[in-house]
Amino acid sequence: MIEVRGLNAGYGKLQILFGIDAHVEPHKITTIVGPNGSGKSTFLKSLFGLNDIYSGQIIYKGQDITRVPPYEKVRMKIAYLPQTGNVFVNLTVEENLKIAGYVLDKARVKERIDVALSVFPELKKILKRKANTLSGGQRQFLAMGMALVREAEFLMLDEPTAQLSPKLAEVIFQKIIEMRDQFKLTILLVEQNAKRALEVSDNGYMFVSGKVAFAGGAKELLEHEKFEEYFLGISGS
Amino acid sequence: MVLEGAIIYSNLLVLLALGLTLTYITTNVPNFAQGSFAIVGSYIAVTLLRIFHIHPYFSLPFLLIAGAIVGFSTYLILKPLVARRADVEILMIATLAIDLILLGTIGAYSEILSKIVGFTQAKFVFSQLDFSIFGIKGIFFVSIAVTLLLLFCLYLLLYKTKFGTALRASMENPDLAETMGINVEQTRAFSWALSGALAAVAGGLLPFMQEIVPMTGDIIIISIFASSIVGGLTHITGALVGGYIIGLSESLITYYLSSIFGTGFLVYGKVVALVIMIITLLFVPSGIMGINWGKRPKK
Amino acid sequence: MMDILQLILLWFGIYYIVAVSLNMEFGYAGIPNFGKALSVLVGAISVGGILNRLLIWYFGVKGDLIEGSTFAIARMNEIIAAHPLAGIFLLLIAILLAMVVGFVVGMIFILPSAKLKADYLGVTLLAISEAIFLVCVYNLSIIGGYYGISTPDILAFAPGEKRGWIFAGIVLVFAFLSFLFMEKLLNTPYGRVLKAMRENEDVVKCFGRDIMKLRMRTMAIGSAIGAIAGVLYSFYTGNIVANSFTRVEWTFFPFLMILLGGKGNNKGVALGVLAYVIVIVFLDIYKYDIKEIFHIPFEPVWLTYILFGITMLLILYYKPTGLIPERPVKTPPVKRIMED
Repeated sequence: MIEVRGLNAGYGKLQILFGIDAHVEPHKITTIVGPNGSGKSTFLKSLFGLNDIYSGQIIYKGQDITRVPPYEKVRMKIAYLPQTGNVFVNLTVEENLKIAGYVLDKARVKERIDVALSVFPELKKILKRKANTLSGGQRQFLAMGMALVREAEFLMLDEPTAQLSPKLAEVIFQKIIEMRDQFKLTILLVEQNAKRALEVSDNGYMFVSGKVAFAGGAKELLEHEKFEEYFLGISGS
Repeated sequence: MVLEGAIIYSNLLVLLALGLTLTYITTNVPNFAQGSFAIVGSYIAVTLLRIFHIHPYFSLPFLLIAGAIVGFSTYLILKPLVARRADVEILMIATLAIDLILLGTIGAYSEILSKIVGFTQAKFVFSQLDFSIFGIKGIFFVSIAVTLLLLFCLYLLLYKTKFGTALRASMENPDLAETMGINVEQTRAFSWALSGALAAVAGGLLPFMQEIVPMTGDIIIISIFASSIVGGLTHITGALVGGYIIGLSESLITYYLSSIFGTGFLVYGKVVALVIMIITLLFVPSGIMGINWGKRPKK
Repeated sequence: MMDILQLILLWFGIYYIVAVSLNMEFGYAGIPNFGKALSVLVGAISVGGILNRLLIWYFGVKGDLIEGSTFAIARMNEIIAAHPLAGIFLLLIAILLAMVVGFVVGMIFILPSAKLKADYLGVTLLAISEAIFLVCVYNLSIIGGYYGISTPDILAFAPGEKRGWIFAGIVLVFAFLSFLFMEKLLNTPYGRVLKAMRENEDVVKCFGRDIMKLRMRTMAIGSAIGAIAGVLYSFYTGNIVANSFTRVEWTFFPFLMILLGGKGNNKGVALGVLAYVIVIVFLDIYKYDIKEIFHIPFEPVWLTYILFGITMLLILYYKPTGLIPERPVKTPPVKRIMED
């Protein structure tokens, strides 16, 4: 689905990623784990085109998208959910869902909103509420629902369970699995909650200091000795 | 009688402050030319009156269009600076420059128009053209009707249309709006056109209650900013609330004080607006609509 | 031709004092003082509103400010004609007075907005300045309003043809003193903190400097210097008409000069002021010829506004750093602050 070759990226003069090679398989969940500051989130931003790419290549469905601007990527059915500010807080839930389908025609938007609500029935009761009154979990549901409305095929999630209770985090993980199975979505996940994330994933990457320290199956990564080394204490949750 | 004038003035201030707030939210530009936008409207109205003998009340739809063009052009001028993410100081200086260009153009035009119609247009009023019902001036009813109508249309646009939702979305978070495929650039240009249109209509009505000279815009700009700031520069409804607070207090407090201290006090109208603005900035910098009324602070 | 040179020198001096003080506020400290005109007006108030009243009281003249001024000034001018030192003394008194008033006004002026973001700050300063200007125009009892009052001729002793040159000389001396003062002041740690504040307020806060106090001090000094220009202008023209202290003339044009010359650079500002003054002096002299030649059907002043407005936009588009860009601050402590 997506192929990254020798990616060097960062913010201005501050290089964060050094020669990343990565491969995201279609219709699977790939999780990137790594300690703080290892460049996980920057990697997602680079894929969506939100920071500076110095060299390297990003191939999506056989097409080079390294220099394609973010709004073009929306039309290529790529969705990126930042960790914060991923919904419009002054709009109602319903308006948020509608705006997510801005580029689609009216009938199609309706159809897609029904789809999103079938995956996130929690949103049905709060359609008329303003997003700034939602809880953290509800906001995350909404943001993911919006990605569904947008007909995303490739979905990048930046720490969707951050600041959520373990119970709620588990619900989010189940939703991510559901989205993969039901809609054949390709999902790229960045998670602090590394252990649990890898348990639900197919493939895993570990980033350390802006470089790939491990690439392979999620199970292998979980059992890898390095995993313990970096995550002892963090993985307990 | 005094209250009548205060309400007329407030209605017009609401229209002007709405435009100012709108463009501030969408492009982060505090527009010092907003007052002159209105005076452009006044001069177009007086031209239509003197040359084509169109009553100013009937030229309002035309002013809407002309004002939109002025607003849109202003945005085109500012666009390279906005795109470059210039500092807000630079954007403010740019609107001061645009204001000066507008002032120069209005001033020059007023003299040309004077030559064409054969008597001076450097200052004029429309009050002699107004009708009256039971001793109440027509402008009282017209300004209320026009303001309500425009507010209603604006409400429909913002809350009942897809474009309106997109407009509100891009006001709040332009980056996120962009990821939804919204053309944020277009919503910005639209807000400037709308701002110009509202200001021009206010400008068409202003001569019914006060004398217009080319410099008038530079004087009312204080009241416009005071309205927007008192209401809350980042809330559209703030312009509404602020417009009435400033409009009513500017007229009523000044009138009250002048009845005590003598008519000399009438020149302090703008000082009243200023004092209210400063009190707001000192105690509630985010304005009245920026206060989280009765809600518990969110995490 | 000599008259033109004299006019250029005179206006250069007056505008340089305004521009160099605005440069400290805006170019160094980043305060968008869109109410600069107020400090110049304060200078005029110090002369017309305070000094004139003192003279009226001193000579025991009857009548209101406008009427009383005329008589008191006539008496004063007689004294100056006989004793040149009295004129110089009067000038120094007026300048001292204006600086004190300017200092206090500058501090109060920014008080409501000293903590606010740049946009609110700029709007508030403009609004305060504009409101006070309007009051001064319509309330005749402050400085004579639109009606105007006369001011003492501090050079009443000098023969007519020399008066202009002497005055230009005095103005240039004060402009040069302002320049020296600013250069000295802004090359101290204080000046560097101001620049740091402009770049990043948080850094300054981290170093334990109070933004509000820094801004107040800056505006106090800036207004005190700006007021000197108001005094010189009031004495030069021989009368004060409140209408002449407009936002366009004393706020917008000084901003234009600074941005043209290069903000944050006092020498660049001098170049900006000179360029503006040369253009405006020649425009003023030849405006009616221009009007005739090009058949302009309106007062040339409007055309000036349009042209200078466009010039400002062009500078912002193509040369935002001005003719002489700001020199980077390279002192080790500041470098360390900026990199942290």
